[in-house]
Amino acid sequence: MTRIDQFESVFKSADKPLFRYEPFSVDSPMVLTDLDDEAAESFAVLAGKYAGAGGSQEISAQRVIRGSDFTSIEDCLDLIAGEKPDLIYTYRGLHSDCWRWGHSLGSYVEVLTQTVSVPVLVFPHPAAAEALPAAEAGCRHVMAMTDHLAGDSGLVNAALFFTPAQGTLHLANLEDQQVFERYMEAIDKIPSIDSAAAQDSVLAQILKEPRDYIQSCRTVVAEQGLDVEIQETVELGLHVADYKRLAAAKDVDLLVMNTKDSGQLAMHGLAYELAVELNEIPLLLL
Amino acid sequence: MSIYLGWISEAHPAVPAWVTLLFVSILAAMILCLAFEEKLHAKKSVIAGLFAILCLLLGAVFGLLPFGPISVGGHEINLPVYIPAIDWEVIAIILGSSLFVDVTSRTGLFTWIAIRLTKASGGDPLKLLVFYGLMTVVFSAVLNNVTAMIIVGSLSGVSLKKLQQEDKLLGFLLVEGLLTNIGGLLTLISSVPNIIVGNAAEIAFLDFFLKSSAYVLVATIVTIALGSRLFGICRLASEAERERARELVAGFDENDGIESRFFFWFGAVMTGLFILTIASTSVLPYIQDLGMGFVALSFAGIMLVRYKAVADKFYEAFDWDLLGFFAALFVVINVMEHALVLQLIGTGLSTIIEAPPDIAAAGLLVVSALFSSVTDNIPLAAMLAKILQARDQVSEQLWWSVIFGANLGGNLTPIGSASTLVAVTIIHKYKLRLTFAGFIRKALPYALVHIALAIIYVLLFF
Repeated sequence: MTRIDQFESVFKSADKPLFRYEPFSVDSPMVLTDLDDEAAESFAVLAGKYAGAGGSQEISAQRVIRGSDFTSIEDCLDLIAGEKPDLIYTYRGLHSDCWRWGHSLGSYVEVLTQTVSVPVLVFPHPAAAEALPAAEAGCRHVMAMTDHLAGDSGLVNAALFFTPAQGTLHLANLEDQQVFERYMEAIDKIPSIDSAAAQDSVLAQILKEPRDYIQSCRTVVAEQGLDVEIQETVELGLHVADYKRLAAAKDVDLLVMNTKDSGQLAMHGLAYELAVELNEIPLLLL
Repeated sequence: MSIYLGWISEAHPAVPAWVTLLFVSILAAMILCLAFEEKLHAKKSVIAGLFAILCLLLGAVFGLLPFGPISVGGHEINLPVYIPAIDWEVIAIILGSSLFVDVTSRTGLFTWIAIRLTKASGGDPLKLLVFYGLMTVVFSAVLNNVTAMIIVGSLSGVSLKKLQQEDKLLGFLLVEGLLTNIGGLLTLISSVPNIIVGNAAEIAFLDFFLKSSAYVLVATIVTIALGSRLFGICRLASEAERERARELVAGFDENDGIESRFFFWFGAVMTGLFILTIASTSVLPYIQDLGMGFVALSFAGIMLVRYKAVADKFYEAFDWDLLGFFAALFVVINVMEHALVLQLIGTGLSTIIEAPPDIAAAGLLVVSALFSSVTDNIPLAAMLAKILQARDQVSEQLWWSVIFGANLGGNLTPIGSASTLVAVTIIHKYKLRLTFAGFIRKALPYALVHIALAIIYVLLFF
């Protein structure tokens, strides 16, 4: 490594993305259900409890969609296009009983999370007796999870919005352990690279970046006077299993993650697997 | 030429004229090889080393070398003939100061300064150019011009990319490259020609600084102003742009490279002490006898205590090519001296040196600049220092002409100095198009202004 590269690396490492606080706002939410009037209203009340830092929010009756309002995905998308909501509350297994088996979000939810540009807050199915009561207690502990947190102000701003005063915001960055090990195995076979030093340096650097970013989040949150405790989890992990373990360990009420991927029609990265498997926790899919 | 050779043959009948000419051709071949080292894919130390071997062999064959014991402090010591040929004080200064700078850079001190200045500029291109320009000059003076170019050049690449001002990178790197040779004039240890010529002329550190600083100040201002104008580097137009640039540079964390606060401050204090001690070496009791090489090596040794378990990493990273080159070069120059080549060149230069003082000074400055623009300025400095040293009376003007010429010649071509070569390396690393001729075209206005200012300065103030 030349000295030019050395100094360039020092300056690149010193160049850190800073958290930009741009308050996430929800002015016209929409509740999308396949229920009848009364059940739909009950679900809307539950959804209102997740209305974010501003406290519970009443959702106008016109914006609560009942099961009879649409019969196809096309109708559903038309309804959303007409209402122009800035947040959709719904639940897994909409117009489907797939939620009973837990292998899918249901075709409606899967299509709309990818087709509609606004965030979708997906609850467990209202009939999932063991799951929904947990959500009814409201939202105290929010977790934003990703494998690349540094610079993702959008994710953190959304998670902050749903974290109430004196609540806890967990910022979790799990680097893929299998990918890391694969690269380290390759490095092990390259004689010109000191494998032990490379392993230590690469690991330290990939964990340092999200930690620095979380520190920047703490600073900005304090400057903004937000009464939110920020906790961090930055480690190597085997995604789905470790995310599930983390969410359970932190008693998370809402999980926030990115799902849009401009390069593909399916959900971004591991988002789909997580969305399917974490079926007892409300999910905010951005 | 025949007049000169005739004079040499008369004065030194032991060295036939054709032998001197043979060594002249060897010297010319070495200089040519050094000028084309990139094309030859050979390191300087290997080139100079091979020529040193050849010179020593031929020197022995022709009976030119003074074999036998040498006297050190009244004691006769048997040393290989090529050992006393090397100027060990120069080697010690280079080795010590390079190690010191290398270890001190690990404290995060230099990057801290560089990032603080970047943030102070608010990301405004013109302010950045001024701050980076001044930083280049100061770092070149205090550290050395190659390290200065590496630090400021790599920061320029990273920060301008972040500010989305990559189109200005060529201008920044070129101006910084030129300023390294201006900053290299500020102190006695800022560049190798300064060390060699300063030692030969017995110029004290403080004296050197006081005499060169006014020129450095003026040349720096002119270079930055010219750079801003020729490369269109100006202030951001709107408040929105300025606000955005401020936000972007705010992301730089000056504390990122600092491993330990204590070591950071230790590094800062030691750097201050190093400059102070080097500056006062000629008046400090005991230290004045031990010399600047001792000071540089001592400071390097003290700094290495922090990394005592991994000191070998610093030795590995050291530029042994440079040190090997100097050692071999001194051997070559020494043999050339015995072969009367330096006397021959000195006689050739006497037309210039013995001209009326002002013409002599200006002429020597221009010749030195032209010569050092096409090859390494170190052999030139070493050779001219020996030639001037051999003369009975040499005016201060002539010594300074060599110093200014050897340093400023580096601004005429991309191979004129090690630091401009580093600038070109960074330029190519960022895939910016700049050919050899392109460099000359862009750098020529600056180089001509620098040389013209230097001539005026030498004529007016020495």
